[in-house]
Amino acid sequence: MISSLRMAGIFILLTTLALAGCSTESPKEEKTTLRFVGWSFNNPEAWEAIFNAFEEAHPDIRLVREITPHSSTQFHALLSQKLRNQDSSMDVFLMDVIWPSEFAAAGWALPLDNFFSDEERQKFLDVPILANTYQDKIYGVPLFIDSGLLYYRKDLLEKYGFSPPGTWEELVQQAESIRDGEQSAHPGLHGYSGQFKQYEGLICDMLEFVHSNEGSFLDSEGGRALIDSPQAVEAVQFVRDQIIGGLAPRGVLTYQEPESLALFSQGNAVFHRNWPYAWAIVNDPERSQVVEKVGVAKLPHFPGGRSVSTLGGWQLAVSRFSKQPEVAWKFVSFVTSPTMQKVLALQAGRAPTRKALYEDPEVLAANPHFRDLFDIFLTAHPRPRTPLYPQVTNTLQAYFSAALSDPESDIPALSQRVREDLDRILAPSQGERSD
Amino acid sequence: MSDRRFGTLLLIPAAIFILGLAIFPVLQSIWLSFHQILLALPGLGKKFVGLENYGRILTDPAARDSIGFTFLFVFGTTLCELILGLAMALTLNRSFRGRGWVRAAILIPWAIPTVVASQMWRYILNDQYGLVNLFLFGSDTASYQAWLAHPWGARLAVMAADIWKTSSFAALLLLAGLQTIPNELYEAARIDGASPWAQFRRITLPLLKPAILVTLLFRTMDAFRVFDLVFVMTQGGPASSTHVLQFYGYQRMFTEGDMGYGSAVSVVVFLTIFIVSLFYIRAMGTRLFERAKV
Repeated sequence: MISSLRMAGIFILLTTLALAGCSTESPKEEKTTLRFVGWSFNNPEAWEAIFNAFEEAHPDIRLVREITPHSSTQFHALLSQKLRNQDSSMDVFLMDVIWPSEFAAAGWALPLDNFFSDEERQKFLDVPILANTYQDKIYGVPLFIDSGLLYYRKDLLEKYGFSPPGTWEELVQQAESIRDGEQSAHPGLHGYSGQFKQYEGLICDMLEFVHSNEGSFLDSEGGRALIDSPQAVEAVQFVRDQIIGGLAPRGVLTYQEPESLALFSQGNAVFHRNWPYAWAIVNDPERSQVVEKVGVAKLPHFPGGRSVSTLGGWQLAVSRFSKQPEVAWKFVSFVTSPTMQKVLALQAGRAPTRKALYEDPEVLAANPHFRDLFDIFLTAHPRPRTPLYPQVTNTLQAYFSAALSDPESDIPALSQRVREDLDRILAPSQGERSD
Repeated sequence: MSDRRFGTLLLIPAAIFILGLAIFPVLQSIWLSFHQILLALPGLGKKFVGLENYGRILTDPAARDSIGFTFLFVFGTTLCELILGLAMALTLNRSFRGRGWVRAAILIPWAIPTVVASQMWRYILNDQYGLVNLFLFGSDTASYQAWLAHPWGARLAVMAADIWKTSSFAALLLLAGLQTIPNELYEAARIDGASPWAQFRRITLPLLKPAILVTLLFRTMDAFRVFDLVFVMTQGGPASSTHVLQFYGYQRMFTEGDMGYGSAVSVVVFLTIFIVSLFYIRAMGTRLFERAKV
């Protein structure tokens, strides 16, 4: 009895001690701690340089970084978890261009109108600013812009007397004759390489095909699906029959950006669709077999359509649950400043969001295609802007993947079913619509 | 304080622990599954929708397909793992030179973290530099196949990776069972002139039944919860062919913020596993009871 009493005493004592231990205050720090959540670049030196510069300029702020997965979908899952739990230990985060509507509607991103003046916004490209705007408020500051580009083998096109293709049909013809001509010298040469795995990148690639045939995923209001229009169906059929079933290796159905780029940079593809960052990699002798043999052009279009590039890119946003938005803004404005965007352009090949940098001689010398293709960045096409984008993209990814991976797929029937699914998904957002 | 009371006191922390970590989440999932909650549209609030989310699982073709593949995965992998595991266990149960090394080697796949193993299988099956293609076609790169680009190729690949990885776990459980069978039984059988096959059928299998049931229970439960393999190897593609129920639910809940429907999917997974386990435990209970009576 006594021993059990004593043990009970010890138990209570230990519990009390443990609880007391939890509440002991840690020594006060003089520095403010700022927490940033984001992924790291392919060339981490660029990030390092920016963070070091920030800490030098703000000796009173201690920057804590949390590195996240690079995949947009996985990063989104992690962020939405933090934001749903109203995690106040995150101040600033990187935001994909497709998230602002959702994060704004969910009340996760802080509106930045008090910090980010109209005058300052004028200095940025219009398209990414629009992408960060939801119901007349702005929720992010664009850090760099992405836009789909056509990379091609300059040496091979010249050898066969071609100039970069204007239409998809021309691209197919050129790739076929080059592939046939090189058959004996280079049997592993493919015509095309892009991103067709069932993931977000598939939407980017397919948007370019569908829209360059004057088709569309949703109507301009974002309330109804148009995915079963004849133009959209025709574009998907073209990709299935001519790209997957023709020019590209079947493996592209499992490729994201890195795998598709590897095929091209190892010299095994004539044409390649990717974002601007690929330029630095294809011209890096350590990582590429095709240094100085690559040209960049606008993506082709279908007859009667026009060239369309999907808008990508990342922004800095402030969490609604941050306890120090002013400090957070210091970081946001520092990282998106002209000087830092220039660092990103020079060291990581990222296309700036500030208009003035497209006239900067150093930036243009490192990335000559920024000048030649400037209007691609001006007209890049956003993916559907709706708070329900995650539902929309998963539904579309499943549709495109099903349509492309089966050579016999009944695309008109599939597209009709997915149109009905999308209309049902978008229905709840209609009631919420105030504008 | 009596010993009994003191015992209760000591149990309280564990009870709170289990209540907080196991029972509360299950109850909350069930509660959530009766509501429509879209994180991106907080204006809609938490609307009570009754069994609507469960109806959606039955009518959504994507959900039905992932249920179909989940059952195929569970059935296919559990069966193969049991057969392979039994073969491995029987081999390991014999004494031969270097048995210790072979035992350790067989456990390696099981010791590798699933994420690492999945990534490895992605490389092995790669269409440009994968080992499978190298073995099958050598330098004939034109014939290289993109295994994961075909719906059935991807399905079989995911199942093969799981079988490769966990057969040794099944072997371990079965080996433990084999070692409890007394050698005298085999000696007696040999004296009576029983063939090795007869010995296996009349002695090994009946006495191994409890171990087999335990193995089946563990593997079935684990296979129903498969997630990481699919997440790393295919992300559900191509054409949603490798969507398993857990991955499907994860997508609804974590990427789409559809809390109600996502919860309904996880409740279905939970109930399925629960029922299957009950069935196994019942079977095991009577077997053990019968043995005890003998």
